Order: sequence, then C-alpha cells, then structure tokens
Amino acid sequence: MNLQGAIKALRAETARPAELGERELLARIQRRDIHAFERLYRIYQPRLARFLTHMLQRPQLVEEVLNDTMMVVWQGAANFRGDSKLSTWIFAIAYRKALKARRCWPDPIEDEALNSRPSAAPGADQQVQHQKLRDALVGAMARLSADHRAVVDLTYFHELGYREIAEIVGCPVDTVKTRMFHARRRLRQALPGDLADWV
Amino acid sequence: MVNPGIDEQPHDEAEALLPWYATGQLDAHDRAIVEDHLQSCLQCKQQLFLERRLVDEFGTLVPQVENGWARLRGSIVVPAQSRRAPLLQPLADLWRAATRPPVMGLVAAQAVFLLIAGSAFLSLERPQAPQYHALSSGAAPAQANMIVMFEGNTTEQQMRGALNLSGASLVGGPTAAGAYLLNVQPNERPHAIATLQSDRHVTLAQPIDGSSG
Repeated sequence: MNLQGAIKALRAETARPAELGERELLARIQRRDIHAFERLYRIYQPRLARFLTHMLQRPQLVEEVLNDTMMVVWQGAANFRGDSKLSTWIFAIAYRKALKARRCWPDPIEDEALNSRPSAAPGADQQVQHQKLRDALVGAMARLSADHRAVVDLTYFHELGYREIAEIVGCPVDTVKTRMFHARRRLRQALPGDLADWV
Repeated sequence: MVNPGIDEQPHDEAEALLPWYATGQLDAHDRAIVEDHLQSCLQCKQQLFLERRLVDEFGTLVPQVENGWARLRGSIVVPAQSRRAPLLQPLADLWRAATRPPVMGLVAAQAVFLLIAGSAFLSLERPQAPQYHALSSGAAPAQANMIVMFEGNTTEQQMRGALNLSGASLVGGPTAAGAYLLNVQPNERPHAIATLQSDRHVTLAQPIDGSSG
C-alpha cells in the first residue's frame, strides 16, 4: 500500500468513530442539549464555511447562511431518522439554504483583473508560480455555476463520493458525474500554461 | 476519438470517475473500471495527475470565515429543562431542578405540610400511614423516592409507556416545574432510573432522597 493508500485507510478508520460521536451529539441535541449543539457547530463550522464560500461567492453571506443551516439542525434534530449520514443531512440543508440565498444575491460581477494582477509580495519564482496557479483556480471556480462549484468542492475538498454528493444536491448520480465532467473541463481551460505545468 | 485504438465508452466512463478515484471514494467495481482503463490510456494517466494536483490545491484554499457561534447562540432559546454538559450532569440536573423557585416552593410546602400532617396523624392516634396513596388525595407525596421530567412535547401515551417500562408508580405531579414524583421499591430503583434515563423523552430521572439510586 502506497502512502496515499495508507492515508485513505487511516481516514476511513477514523471516520467511523467520528460519525458515531456525531450521532451521540445529535441524540443529546434531540434532548435540547445546547452544549452538544455547540460542539457539533464547532465541528461543522469550518467545513460548511468552506463549502458555502464556494457556493455563495460572497463572504459576507457565509456566516448568515451557515447559521441558518445550523439553526435548522437545532430545530429539526428530531426529524433526522438516520437514513443517511449525519454529514450528508447537514450538507444538504446547507446546499438548499445556499441556493435560496443565491436567489436573493446572485453572483457578484467577476473580478476581470484577478488573473493579471501582479503579486503583492513576489518571492521565489516557485512561490510566484504557485500563487498564480491558485489565483487561476479561484478565478476559474468563480466562473463556474453554483451547482458546479458545489460538486467540485464536495469532491476535491470534502472528498465525498458521487452517490453522497447526489444525495446532498438532490439529483441523480449521473448528473453529478456530468456536472463534474464539465466543471473539470472549465477548470482545465482556465488554468495557465499547459497540462505539463501542473503535473 | 480521444484515444486511438480505445473504445470511447470505457474511456468516457473511466474519465468521469477519475476525480473520485483520485480521492479514494470509489467502490471496488468502479475502481476496477478505472484501473483497467488506466493501463492503456495515457491521456487518463495524465488527467489523474491533474486530479491529484487539484485535490492538493483545493486543500490549501481555506477561506477565513469568522466563527458565528456567539451570534447563533444568542438567537436560540433553550428550553428550561434542557440537559447540561455530561460532566456531573446528573448532579447538575438535580441541583437545577431542586433550586428552581417553583420546586423550592414545592419542597418548602411539602415540608410544612408533612409537619402539619405528622402532627395530625399523632393526634388522631392512627396506627400507621396508609400503604396506598391516591393521586387525588392532595396529600404530600410522602412515598415518592424518584423524580422524573419529560420533554415539553411528550405525549401522555409516551409518558405512560416510559413509566410502565420503568416499573415506577406515579404518586404526584406534575409540579409547577413539570416534574412527576414516582415511587418504586428501593431495590428496583436503579433499574427504574436507568430505564427512564434511556428514554429519549425523559430530560431528568433521579432519586430524590439523596442516595445514589
């Protein structure tokens, strides 16, 4: 088993106890235990913040939508029957809340100068190049639709499988694959240089 | 044709799965499809490198979002009977229940009532207190040795089911704080308390004479 395989195996092993711990927290939240809810909030806040940042493209809305999401978790904890993973349920709520917020606040106008803006703190060539790639990635993400951004983020960062993503966004698995396929093509096109620069 | 000599259908199928292959999120069947195809497709091999690079790069894009717990906490009204943190929770629950003004009033009233009732018993020279204590008697629940509280939305049927399972008898309540006073044989009390505490509708189940149960 290579290093990456070992890391995956370790993640899989640690994910099960984490899920069990979260279920225990949820059981306490169902009994209106505010301390358990605070713990769950602190577990999910970084993950949801990241997901919503990509979905909304408006940092000032992220906290509001995140708190709306967690308020639904608090108020609707008794409705969670355990048919899916707890994280799937929470991300699905966040996804719906983000879509609703986006109807009121469409994407901001794209910052056209983003990719051509010189680095504020140029360093070694490698760092500059890396920053350029990251800027390109952020810019390319911004140009994707919210649905595509959600699938990309859930895949690459949250490392969820396509079936779980389909549950979260409420669409068939083939739609998830298709969205991901097109999103990847858009990302590739937006990245500077050719494939060799990246690999 | 993307890859000369290779069917497009397996190529498309494998290429679509590459992101999840890169993150290790495929089941054995899908993984076999990708690995079989990778053996003969240079384009997908290169694409896999890019996928892994994207996974790494996405990991570094961490947005700075202020933790909004304080704001959310301010908008939540916690029911009065909600549980505290697990540390010393039973004691904390009991203390909170016992120190509520209505409960304190109830305890004080019971103490006064017991004093008066005791005097009356002695003056009447009755041989012993009755073994049966009717709920409608209005007398203090002198035989109660447990207290239980339920969530606000618990139905009568759910309460009855929980009490039946515990084997405890209802001897008083609901108090002003929503507590019910129960009686159970001393040797069966630990089981009764454990049974009630495991019920999802029960927010508190404790002995009320200071013993451990």
